Amino acid sequence: MRRRLLRTILAAVLAALPLPAAAQTADEVFDAQALHEMRLLINSKDLQLLRANFTDNTYYPADLVWGAQRVRNIGMRSRGAGSRNGVKLGLRLDFDRYTTDQRFAGLSSLVLDNLVQDPSMVRERVAMAFFNRVGVPAPRESFTRLFINNEYQGVYAIVEEIEPPFVGRTLGEDNGYLFEYHWIAPFRGEDLGTIAAYKPLFEPRNHETDADSVLYGAIGDLFREAATSDATTRERIERFLDVGAFVTLVAVENFLAENDGVLGYAGMNNLYVYRSVGSTRHRLLPWDKDNTFLQIDFPILNRLDDNALSRQLLAFEDLRALYLDTLDRCARAAADEDWLLNEITRSTALVADAARQDTRKFATNEEFDAGVDYMKAFAAARPVFVLQSLAALR
Amino acid sequence: MQPTPPEESLKQKKKLLAVVSAVGVLAIAPSAALAQRAPAPPAPTFRWDDHPSIRFGRGTHIDFRARFSTDVRRSDAPLPDEDIGAFDIARRRIGVEGEIRNIVEFQIERELISGTDGWRDVYVNYKQFDAAQVIAGKFKLPFSLDQNTSSTNLDFIHRSLAASYLAPGRDIGVQVHGRVAKRILRYELGVFEHDGRNARTNDPSRVTGGQTLAGRVRVEPFRHSKSSAREFELGVAFTGSDVAEGFPGLRGRTVLDTAFFRPDYPVSGRRQRMGIEAQWRPGPFSVKSEWMRVRDERLALSVEDSDLSPITSEGWYVSGTWAVTGERKSSGLDTPRRPIFRGGYGAVEVAARVERLEFRSGTLGQTPSTSPRADVIVGNGDRVVTIGANWYLNRWLKVQGNIIRESIDNPALGPLPSQKSFWSRIIRLQLSI
Repeated sequence: MRRRLLRTILAAVLAALPLPAAAQTADEVFDAQALHEMRLLINSKDLQLLRANFTDNTYYPADLVWGAQRVRNIGMRSRGAGSRNGVKLGLRLDFDRYTTDQRFAGLSSLVLDNLVQDPSMVRERVAMAFFNRVGVPAPRESFTRLFINNEYQGVYAIVEEIEPPFVGRTLGEDNGYLFEYHWIAPFRGEDLGTIAAYKPLFEPRNHETDADSVLYGAIGDLFREAATSDATTRERIERFLDVGAFVTLVAVENFLAENDGVLGYAGMNNLYVYRSVGSTRHRLLPWDKDNTFLQIDFPILNRLDDNALSRQLLAFEDLRALYLDTLDRCARAAADEDWLLNEITRSTALVADAARQDTRKFATNEEFDAGVDYMKAFAAARPVFVLQSLAALR
Repeated sequence: MQPTPPEESLKQKKKLLAVVSAVGVLAIAPSAALAQRAPAPPAPTFRWDDHPSIRFGRGTHIDFRARFSTDVRRSDAPLPDEDIGAFDIARRRIGVEGEIRNIVEFQIERELISGTDGWRDVYVNYKQFDAAQVIAGKFKLPFSLDQNTSSTNLDFIHRSLAASYLAPGRDIGVQVHGRVAKRILRYELGVFEHDGRNARTNDPSRVTGGQTLAGRVRVEPFRHSKSSAREFELGVAFTGSDVAEGFPGLRGRTVLDTAFFRPDYPVSGRRQRMGIEAQWRPGPFSVKSEWMRVRDERLALSVEDSDLSPITSEGWYVSGTWAVTGERKSSGLDTPRRPIFRGGYGAVEVAARVERLEFRSGTLGQTPSTSPRADVIVGNGDRVVTIGANWYLNRWLKVQGNIIRESIDNPALGPLPSQKSFWSRIIRLQLSI
């Protein structure tokens, strides 16, 4: 009893002490004007296991140090698809995995993108910034120097996880159904028939205990309606898809020469799907943009016919016009006051020194410099190419 | 009783056999020498007093023992195995025990329920000198009054949680023990292969203590007094062993064996037990109490490879009994003054116990976490109140009834997540020969 009383008093005293400066909001964490410093502490045996078994999704306990703030007992695991490796780890941090309701700057999780698929290291963040600039909800990102057990791991992008708070911030509601799309095999919007066929593709990130019919019924309906073409096609698809948002997303991805997105080279990839409670209409959200900026002359109608959804929807005049108008808007938004060039220049300048010290990156420093040069060239030439292509079409 | 993996069981049997054989030879050697000088032993005679016995003259006999018990259990909380929950053959044991020329005593007891670690006590005790006896084989480590009380003589159907889960229980070892200072002081000091069966689970990946040193000292400071204070006894005990890195076998379970604390936190380093016990048995009354603590070190297990606070498992109980029919508690109630079927109704005793078992770690100011590398773990505790009655019909039959009220600190980790407290009722019929 006496010990409990003593504990309570001491806990109250500790709580009353002024705390050192710490990240109070997610805006500070995603402040893209700064190169942050993030430190992770993990038991050396766990780190060995994590590196050796980087293909697993096993969580390991760790502490996160951000300035003077230390977030204890977080969960950390390897993540990524093509970028996943044991040298420069791609990481996912879950702050509430071991401690109920624990948050860091109001966030329950974060992604640390290892940027190994992009020699310039800025494609991911610049692409997401561009999505936000043209009004497409996309994760916020910033750069950090990452240290694990005080050993420098290189430059990482801090990526806002797409989870209910993200949807709440961008779409104004956070209680709907959220799915992460997983690439299993090339899928281009075909009707897969049974609900069970969609389960491995669309992982629910909430409402996990709902019945499969509730989770996947409307997804199956969407692709079934897109599989047939008649006078009611538009109406049928619109019941299950926010077609305007879909066309806009596809257009922005095309402007950014995204090779691995909704109309990816190997089918659909790198996206989330959101559906409001009580609705059957889905909205696609962009994710993982390491493969943007593929080529300056990326055709503006590239792969539109490959995907059942884009093939059906862009046959309608108004939606085709929306697609082309969005491309036009993108080109002008990128070129306006050299926004895209400035963003690339500022971002590359921010990370340049840290990137050169990054011995775990897959590219050489020469390849980094060449990558930066290419990005700047893209920023200068892509708007011109797109506008010219649009003019030629019209 | 938990099953033991077959390889481990075989290894244990071999060690047990080797230890018992060695001590048996040492013990029998002097008696064999005596036999050469003594006249021919008298013919064996069979007797059945409390139990069947064959006697070979003075000081040499073999007794045959058996114990069967049946429980009827009801609980508001789910039982670990629902299909045996309501009606359970709790124990079926047979054994032999005896003495050779009052110099060597031995006991072999086996559980008959399949799938369990069948061998219980298997030991030889060389007791020629009261001040220094040597016992070897498989027997209970000298820790905890309640754990070292025979299940036939328990005041309640189940031992206290602390004695059941924190005290080591049985293991293979060698121990010196005796009484000194005019039998006022009793001591036990032994070395054991591991730190007892209670520290193990069915999961072979769970770690347990290695070679264990265990000791216990008990004093009866007023032993030679004429007053009732002569029945007062006080004791302390310890064990110490090294535990390899891994998840520990010590766990928190309710009275009816449902988990309320799963120690998914690795430990590494020393495991140390400390216990204090006291009992006083004036006339028909008894008061007993114990406190015990197990500290498991967690060396180099933090996220910075530094040491974490040890996991502390702590338990205590206070219990009291009253033999309503007037028998002396210190003499035992298992031989009633007026047994049933002989004009009496046996011995009746009422009992009550308050106890607690808890698991915790860490320092102030940190939020408890389920992280295996958390300094402050999400611990839990169980507080139990038991009211019981024991009816000793005669020297062989005993009926016990217990009403148990348990309160779990963090019910989310317990058997009934929606409810902090719950009731259980148990009745046991026991036949001991």
